[in-house]
Amino acid sequence: MDNAQLIAVLASIVLQASPLIIAVCGEILTERSGVVNLSLDGTMLMAAMLAFVVGMKTQNVWLGFAAAAAIGALFALIIAFGSIRLGQSQVAIGFVLTLLGDDLSAFLGQNYTRMRGVIVPHYGIPILKDIPVIGPIFFNHDIVVYFAMALIAVTWWWLNRTQPGLRLRGSGERPTAAFARGVDVNRQRYFYTILGGALVGIAGAAFSLNVKIGWSDGHIRGMGWVALAIVIFGGWSPIRGAFGALLFGATKALATVLQRAFPQVSVVAFNSLPWVLMILVLVAVGSDYTERFINAMPKSWRRPLRRVLRISPPMALGTPFHEG
Amino acid sequence: MYEFFGKHPRLARIVDLLLPVIATLAALGVGAIMLQLLGANPVAAYRALLSGAFGNKNALADTIVRATPLLLVALGICIAFRAGVINIGGEGQLVAGAILGTLVGLWFPEAPGIVIVSLALVAGFIGGAIWGGIPGILKAYFNVNEILSTIMLNIIAVQGMNYLLRGPMIDPVQAQAASRIPQTARLAQAFDLPRLVPTRLHLGALIAVILAFVVYIFLWRTTAGYRIRAVGLNPDASRYAGINVKRNIVLALVLSGAFAGLAGAIQVFGVHHRMFTDGSLAGFTGSAGFNGIVAALFGKLNPLGAIPASFIFGALIVGANSLQRAMQVPAALITALNGLVVIFVVSSEIFSRRLNRSRQIGSDVATATSSSDSSLSSALSVEGDTSQ
Repeated sequence: MDNAQLIAVLASIVLQASPLIIAVCGEILTERSGVVNLSLDGTMLMAAMLAFVVGMKTQNVWLGFAAAAAIGALFALIIAFGSIRLGQSQVAIGFVLTLLGDDLSAFLGQNYTRMRGVIVPHYGIPILKDIPVIGPIFFNHDIVVYFAMALIAVTWWWLNRTQPGLRLRGSGERPTAAFARGVDVNRQRYFYTILGGALVGIAGAAFSLNVKIGWSDGHIRGMGWVALAIVIFGGWSPIRGAFGALLFGATKALATVLQRAFPQVSVVAFNSLPWVLMILVLVAVGSDYTERFINAMPKSWRRPLRRVLRISPPMALGTPFHEG
Repeated sequence: MYEFFGKHPRLARIVDLLLPVIATLAALGVGAIMLQLLGANPVAAYRALLSGAFGNKNALADTIVRATPLLLVALGICIAFRAGVINIGGEGQLVAGAILGTLVGLWFPEAPGIVIVSLALVAGFIGGAIWGGIPGILKAYFNVNEILSTIMLNIIAVQGMNYLLRGPMIDPVQAQAASRIPQTARLAQAFDLPRLVPTRLHLGALIAVILAFVVYIFLWRTTAGYRIRAVGLNPDASRYAGINVKRNIVLALVLSGAFAGLAGAIQVFGVHHRMFTDGSLAGFTGSAGFNGIVAALFGKLNPLGAIPASFIFGALIVGANSLQRAMQVPAALITALNGLVVIFVVSSEIFSRRLNRSRQIGSDVATATSSSDSSLSSALSVEGDTSQ
């Protein structure tokens, strides 16, 4: 493989990762506020289908994105309402919505499978795209990919450097303390669940209009679960999450390359590779042995090592909050 | 409305029991609107659905056959969810059990039927237990979220099945043929599960119902079952009480997987008599691993409640197929309809809980009301522990 090919592969990894990054950032906002939106797989399928159909009918790709964001927000609203107002299990509602989104997208989208729709226009950023190596990998894509990149930075900044971000984290970590400081915890959770859902919807649209163009039954089945796994792998941080999304894309690309290099090994081994790796990584970050390893290190190393190797979920994740 | 039921506790109790039925009817009502929009007559459509599911002896037998794997998976789900473990890996565990069971049947084609069938069912049980035990150990000892690990093990199991059925386990006839359909050879006739009556109804249904009672007794009448439920209700309190929380999490997932694996083996030996794959996650399993979760939630995570819940879902699936043939409505509508039923039933839970509360306040046992809420400490409980 020569350099040009390598750059093309890396650029495609960035493109492939962009919808996952958007979904991961959305889910991070939701989960940091204390709500689990488990319906990602179904939501993204619904959004991908709807974005494709709306885009095709109106011949406007951005209306497709708007429709996808709306359906994502609607699914998230069901979860927020069911869990916050009705006190239902978030996991149960999310799981049922996953199945429903899968079935409903297959049903509503059956007349639109394998058709030509609209796609996001290519737009290379002037000047930046001409930087050697980095330019073609990162800056020679389209608006959606740039949106994903910007979203990583904005999400991180919002969570860690702003007042509203502090309220958001308070709602997910110590809701009672946040409440005592005057934060309307449940309103925060409503807001970020719906916002996160809208982003997940946009991620679905980014698949069907940009990355895996078109629609067929079960088009992107499984990607929602990948996004959920990456949120955990990324320790609920947008930067680590984006890294995880790129890593997932890289393992898939690696599997394709390896498959060509070792045609005698079964394709199954390579198809399973990203999943096995992901489990192994989750084992590594969760294991007690990692903690022992960190404690065996010099004192000044422990904090940065822990930040890289350990993850801990928002403390109030998945638990309902009752005022007073 | 709740005040009214507060004054009439008996009425509230009846409404509470009927809620799943009401919710199902409401979902079918929404489905009727969708049918109308598609230009099909809803009354005729539902008549086709009902007669397809219950119309005659064969239809009823088909319904029960479809309900059997749902029930077995649901039993496992009851155990796992009661332990506070969210096992979404029913599909993978079912596949693992089916593979191990099928291997037993393929290895000893000449052996006596009863020996092989019993061995195969045990093998299925073990296969599922192993595939459930992996996420159990990962969760207990490595803090790996079980939702993710079970989902990924689903995908890995299906990939493994695709490999085995295309390669080592492929039917020798298919291996010679150009088509190379990924399936095993048909298992010896002697290994077919006995039919109960002259229909497709097989022994597996009886096994499943008996096991439902066994699981009920296990969960509510044995110490081991009590420990599992205690871990699910409050892991910290359980730890202080001297219960080994980690071991019980593993045990719950092992048992949960084992029942799904048994369902897989029963599907092979009772229904298909071979394994096959269409390459997707829901090929040979018929999505029983996922639908079983829904049936368990529908049955309020009670093994006995899972019996009618699975039966209703089996009826919906079988009836929907004949509806599709009769009315030429798309198959996807049926799956969407199933989804609607589930959404309605799960959301009806909230009314159930409020009814219970108003009933309890009404009948002056207000002291007990808070306990049903505190038992919801884990985010996944679908209900308070009513069976105590």
